[in-house]
Amino acid sequence: MRTAKFVLTRVAGMIIVLLIVTFVTFLVFYVLPSDPAQLACGRPCSPEALSLAREFMGFNVPWYQQFLDFLGGIFSGRTFGTGATAIHCTAPCFGYDFQNNVEVLTEITDRIEVSFSVAFGAAVIWLISGVGLGVLSALRRGRPIDRITMAVAMAGVSMPAYLAGMIGITIFAFALDVVPKNGYVSITDDPAQWAWHLVLPWLVLAFLHAAIYARLTRGQMVETLGEDFIRTARAKGLTETKVVGKHALRNVLLPVITVFGVDLGALLAGTVITERIFGMAGVGKLLVDAIAGMNLPVMLGVTLFSALIVTFMNFAVDLFYGALDPRARLT
Amino acid sequence: MKGSQVKRLIAGVAVTATLLTACGANDTPSGGTANGGGTVKAGGTLYILTDSPSQQFDPAKSSNLVITALSLVHRRLTSWSVAPGKDTEIVPDLATDTGKASDGGKTWTFTLKDGLKFGDGTPIKSADVKWGLERSFAPAFSGGLTYHKDLLSPGLAYKGPFDGGKELDTIETPDDKTIIFHLARPYGDFNWVASTPAFAPVPKGKGAEADYGNHPVTSGPYNVQSYERGKGATLVRNPNWSATEDTTRKGYPDKIEFQLGQQTAVIAKRLIDDSGNDQTAFGAPFVAPAQLVQITGNPSAKSRLVTSESGALAYLSLNVTRGKLADPNVRKAFQYAVDKAAYQVASAGSPDLAGEVATTLITPGIKGREKFDLYPAPPAGDPEKAKQLLAQAGLPNGLDGLVLVTRNENSYPEKAAAIQAGLARAGIKVTIKTLDTDAYTQEVDTKENPDYDLALSSWQPDIPSANANIQPLFQSTEIGGGGVNESRLNDPDIDKGIIDAQSSVDPADAAKKWVELDKKLMEKSVVVPLIYTRNSFLHGSKLGNFVIGKFPAYVDYRQWGVIQ
Repeated sequence: MRTAKFVLTRVAGMIIVLLIVTFVTFLVFYVLPSDPAQLACGRPCSPEALSLAREFMGFNVPWYQQFLDFLGGIFSGRTFGTGATAIHCTAPCFGYDFQNNVEVLTEITDRIEVSFSVAFGAAVIWLISGVGLGVLSALRRGRPIDRITMAVAMAGVSMPAYLAGMIGITIFAFALDVVPKNGYVSITDDPAQWAWHLVLPWLVLAFLHAAIYARLTRGQMVETLGEDFIRTARAKGLTETKVVGKHALRNVLLPVITVFGVDLGALLAGTVITERIFGMAGVGKLLVDAIAGMNLPVMLGVTLFSALIVTFMNFAVDLFYGALDPRARLT
Repeated sequence: MKGSQVKRLIAGVAVTATLLTACGANDTPSGGTANGGGTVKAGGTLYILTDSPSQQFDPAKSSNLVITALSLVHRRLTSWSVAPGKDTEIVPDLATDTGKASDGGKTWTFTLKDGLKFGDGTPIKSADVKWGLERSFAPAFSGGLTYHKDLLSPGLAYKGPFDGGKELDTIETPDDKTIIFHLARPYGDFNWVASTPAFAPVPKGKGAEADYGNHPVTSGPYNVQSYERGKGATLVRNPNWSATEDTTRKGYPDKIEFQLGQQTAVIAKRLIDDSGNDQTAFGAPFVAPAQLVQITGNPSAKSRLVTSESGALAYLSLNVTRGKLADPNVRKAFQYAVDKAAYQVASAGSPDLAGEVATTLITPGIKGREKFDLYPAPPAGDPEKAKQLLAQAGLPNGLDGLVLVTRNENSYPEKAAAIQAGLARAGIKVTIKTLDTDAYTQEVDTKENPDYDLALSSWQPDIPSANANIQPLFQSTEIGGGGVNESRLNDPDIDKGIIDAQSSVDPADAAKKWVELDKKLMEKSVVVPLIYTRNSFLHGSKLGNFVIGKFPAYVDYRQWGVIQ
């Protein structure tokens, strides 16, 4: 009963958060000095042509009406224009991309595989390597391996993603020629090529993120290893592997999982720079292209999608707490 | 001719010769021998690497020049013949000639060639050209070049053929071969306008769907086999296209693959690296200044760099509605105060790569252009002369508090800083206001009373006619509302001159009138022409026939091929 109430409360909270995000994003984009109809007007753009473009795209009404039309489209779909050339955006309609003649939701779903492939693969690598190196550093505190690991971690934390990507592609793709230079192969077409094309993006992203996890894990592990229950476990004669692996690590993982949920959520919503550098058409690249082309419907749709993923991941992390820590379970 | 002019002429010739050597050394014409052996022949796959996330193949929505990507798929009534060192000429494409004007330029008649076929094998009729144009009036298909619209339906009274099936009665198709246009006013450049994308045929009754551009019925050398937004497009041979009949396109490659949405730095790296499929690849984006430095230090890459001899006019608009700038004598001081040499360095690192100093509004490569310089000065300007002019205009202490607006992309902030420093030498103090492209359009081109004194921009005409150089930038109808009359000149004499020149159907007479307007505008000093901006492109070692004409400053996609 308490679990059901918790879930319902959280879902209601998520909906409110999403509504606020949608409203604020909408307001920001539409109050900005920009006019999507101007891009669809043609050249030269006469006042008559601009007016017709605005009317067709639904931008000829006040902003609050546009917002309500947008929300209504999510539940009941929308139609732009009339007659034979009318464009139907089926529910849930997250907007229509007039520059590319496609529903925004279709654009996002077409690209989810790429973003999820990049994000999950990188997340597995950075979680294992980050936590592993963090534990190793904590256990070898003050020794060379600790110092080297933390120095590398510091480099990863402080390096801009663009620089890391360009260094990675320059060394491994151009100088050594051991990995593909760019592109993406669907896992359904060729799983081996899928992984091969993703190796470098995974490693670059993992390098950037693992650093945070290594430092976080090390700090938590050093603190946990000083706790009374660890001394008790050792006094009971448990092996060091069991003390660290079963008792200490479980405590260490709680904050790690919290950060991981947020990071993975953000990454699933698009690895902007990585996708751009490696020429992968994911959700992140969709957003970058939309910003470059001032494609407001796509910017709005992707922002809403990102907010949805991040809030869902937070919710999933909360649920996972219960599995990891009995004290957090709802009975 | 003064000494400085001679020096400039010699320098210009030397620069052009150097660039042409660099540009053309590795570009093998059809049948010639490439530096690595082999000739450009039919066959092979050509890759186009582009940073753009999409490629528009819908003729109604496209604003492509006649020589770039759209020409691979669609033909138009007329086309352009481009060649290095030569002015661009109008030539027939689907039509048998470049159009016949009658009724003082209000009526234009074109006749289609025999045996023309769409990619699906059906014959191309005059009604299909008419349908394509009618379709471009539908609000759902706006976005392309619109020069024809106001001439065929003033005020956009016509809303397209789809709802109610109404035809555009200003276009007549008495038979399958003939198409007659009845314009609202005389227009001498209508045959140039007939080379814009909307004049590509669309089978009558088709193309109502919004994504028609993803699977268009083609008339050019290639069919669109596949198109994926943000990823790529594959073009394969159109078996119904005839290389012997189409004299403007070579159609050498068997297949053309677009790789969309690539990072520009990675495109440059791939092309410099020149391995695998990238040996037959072409980089569509202009090579950025930082990459030019890298390329010029690499002999292999340098031999594959092609640079235009001219290009878009970079210019500084002087807002004639603001304060002292309303006085032409004050504006003339700006012609001498600006440091064009510094602008060249800020643009591309060197004058050679940036482009020749500009003194006219009509750009090189436009037939009938006359080169003149009303304000002779060294490329770095003549600040002392500027100070004298300001003093004569009652401003012995110079000018203060001017706002220079520009964009935040394409090195514009650096270019604006070069302008600011140049003007400061003559006592003109300027504050730079940098806006993103959209905000710039809203502030400078849309508002009624925008807050700027100077605007830094560039202009590439859509058609090789002086009309396209002058009218959009200086006719009073182009002030605000999305127009680009950024000097906000509202001069009845200039407006009358523009309408008069547009009405002339005699190219020599029209050219004379446009040159007169060029001189008048320069006398009024409403803009400071800066440079004719060169564009540089990089390609793989197994591509040849790279042609960049005097206009436009883009590679001619119709000529290139794979070296076999």
